[in-house]
Amino acid sequence: MMASRIKWAGVAVIAAGLACAPLILEQTGNLFWINVIAEIMIWSLLAASVNLLLGYVGLLSFGQALYFGFGMYGVAIGVSHFGLGLWPAFFLGVGAASAMAAISGAVAVRLTWHYFAIITVVFSLIFYFVAMSAKSITGGDDGLSFSTPALWEAAGLSLTDRVTQFYFIYMIVFACFAAFALLVASPLGMRFAAVRDNENRASLIGINVYLTRWIAFVIAGFFAGVGGALFALFGRYASASYMFYHVSGEAVVWSIVGGTGTLLGPFVGTALLILFREVISGIWENYLIAVGALVILVVMFAPRGIVGIFNDLISRRERSKEGREDSEIEPLAQAD
Amino acid sequence: MDLVIALTINGLVWGLIVALIALGLSIIFGLLDIINVAHGDFFMVGTVLALVIAGTTGFWIALVLVPLIGLALGLVIERLVIRPTISAASLTIVTTFGLSMILQEAVRATFGAQARRMAAPIPGTVPLFGLEYDVYRLFAAVFAMLCIAAFFLFLSRTRLGTWIRAVRHDRETATALGIPVTRVCAFTFGLGTAMALLGGAIAAPITTVEFRTGVDILPVSFMAVVIGGLGNLKGTVAAAILLAVLEGLISSFADPTLARITSLAVMSGVLLLKPKGLFAGATR
Repeated sequence: MMASRIKWAGVAVIAAGLACAPLILEQTGNLFWINVIAEIMIWSLLAASVNLLLGYVGLLSFGQALYFGFGMYGVAIGVSHFGLGLWPAFFLGVGAASAMAAISGAVAVRLTWHYFAIITVVFSLIFYFVAMSAKSITGGDDGLSFSTPALWEAAGLSLTDRVTQFYFIYMIVFACFAAFALLVASPLGMRFAAVRDNENRASLIGINVYLTRWIAFVIAGFFAGVGGALFALFGRYASASYMFYHVSGEAVVWSIVGGTGTLLGPFVGTALLILFREVISGIWENYLIAVGALVILVVMFAPRGIVGIFNDLISRRERSKEGREDSEIEPLAQAD
Repeated sequence: MDLVIALTINGLVWGLIVALIALGLSIIFGLLDIINVAHGDFFMVGTVLALVIAGTTGFWIALVLVPLIGLALGLVIERLVIRPTISAASLTIVTTFGLSMILQEAVRATFGAQARRMAAPIPGTVPLFGLEYDVYRLFAAVFAMLCIAAFFLFLSRTRLGTWIRAVRHDRETATALGIPVTRVCAFTFGLGTAMALLGGAIAAPITTVEFRTGVDILPVSFMAVVIGGLGNLKGTVAAAILLAVLEGLISSFADPTLARITSLAVMSGVLLLKPKGLFAGATR
């Protein structure tokens, strides 16, 4: 009981800290960092989408950037070609990403592990090349710029204001992570875990393994799509380069470095690596060497990710407390 | 018509080089069960080293030195970053991704971001099917073919090669029989790396040399490995050649992006219909 209370306290601290961040940063004049944190929140959704598949259903997707890209282009094309308002464009993007995930997922979830990783990267590459060549629609390599529509005209709210934009992103990302937490604790989430832990046993007790994987895949596509839609609004720009497999790979790295199978792991991983990059890039031109080394060191010394280590520490402390009462069991539990 | 022939032969030449690189990827994958995301960057390091060494001592020495450097580099990397994270396939993706970042950035820091081209070590052209074809490209094809043949001979005729096959086949039994499995795995990673660097050295005079080329070669090599069937080495070679010729043919009447999309579509078809690879059953 104690352990889960500490974990939820951690979640609350991060959520509250993020809510206060723009006010503090505005007071101290660090306006640049407001946008950095906003960007971290957006990318953490892409990492969360990887985490849902890898950490909860046991599928490693190397192509989540495809759905991020659909969300991004849905918004950009909706605004610049169809002249949609902010919310219709947003839903167009998220809808397009989810629909794409539903179609490609129906095919991809028939495969597992290496084959699944490869088919997802192949799908994302196909659409990357399509987006690169369909220049009249997508802008190809140069990308597609647009001016962002008003958030709420009557109230005078607009995303051009840095702080308004921050809270807009914060609210949507917060809602997504809350939905994520509810999802993995729900009966459906239990089914995900059953499929992840033992696919044969799951199907023997009557779970439709393909259907369960497909649902997870569509929801993961939805999260990635929300991330992409937010990113388009944030940057007022969409580019095919964000659909490349390198972006998917980065999301996998963020998710594993933070800790897969945990709620906040993807957020922590994304935040650590983006903050590290922002700080180091100001000091050292070839900062990517340091980022690569950091990534390697984290998985070497914390194979279950940063949040994984944190969770291990909490449960060990818990166990050692119980261990005082029953010291016979403790070594066995440790060895497990 | 000339264009079709030229692009098809180009595809064949390129396919043989890709086959060499993909074989390296495939033995690493088959033996260590890791998805090596840095493999394309090993190729890139090969092209850069070939250009640099060729500039000081000449191309032929580079062609000998580069794979040896690759072997050493692979052994060091295996010991430092692969072995500690070998326990889970998803972890090795992260480590090789980090490695890929380090390699690209290290090359950019030392070699520069500028794309360069290298003069062909064998100048001139020969008449071939009614067109004038670069001698070096023909040499590259033949040399890549010889390297592939040597690789298969090594696997089937030497003790080390037999050990590699034994570990691939059944790791536990191999351990029980006294084969030094850990060292065989380390050597295999070194060998795979050396093959990627060698492919880079052969390709250096016919491609652009810059820190980003690995990003393009990686998906192509993976496609060859998958279409050929995971673990089917001969299938990998056939698939690499098939894909490159197909891309060459299509790009003779459509743009290269369409050719790439087609080969990707072929690949998803193969994955879904014949997940064991196009040549499953044909060879073991």
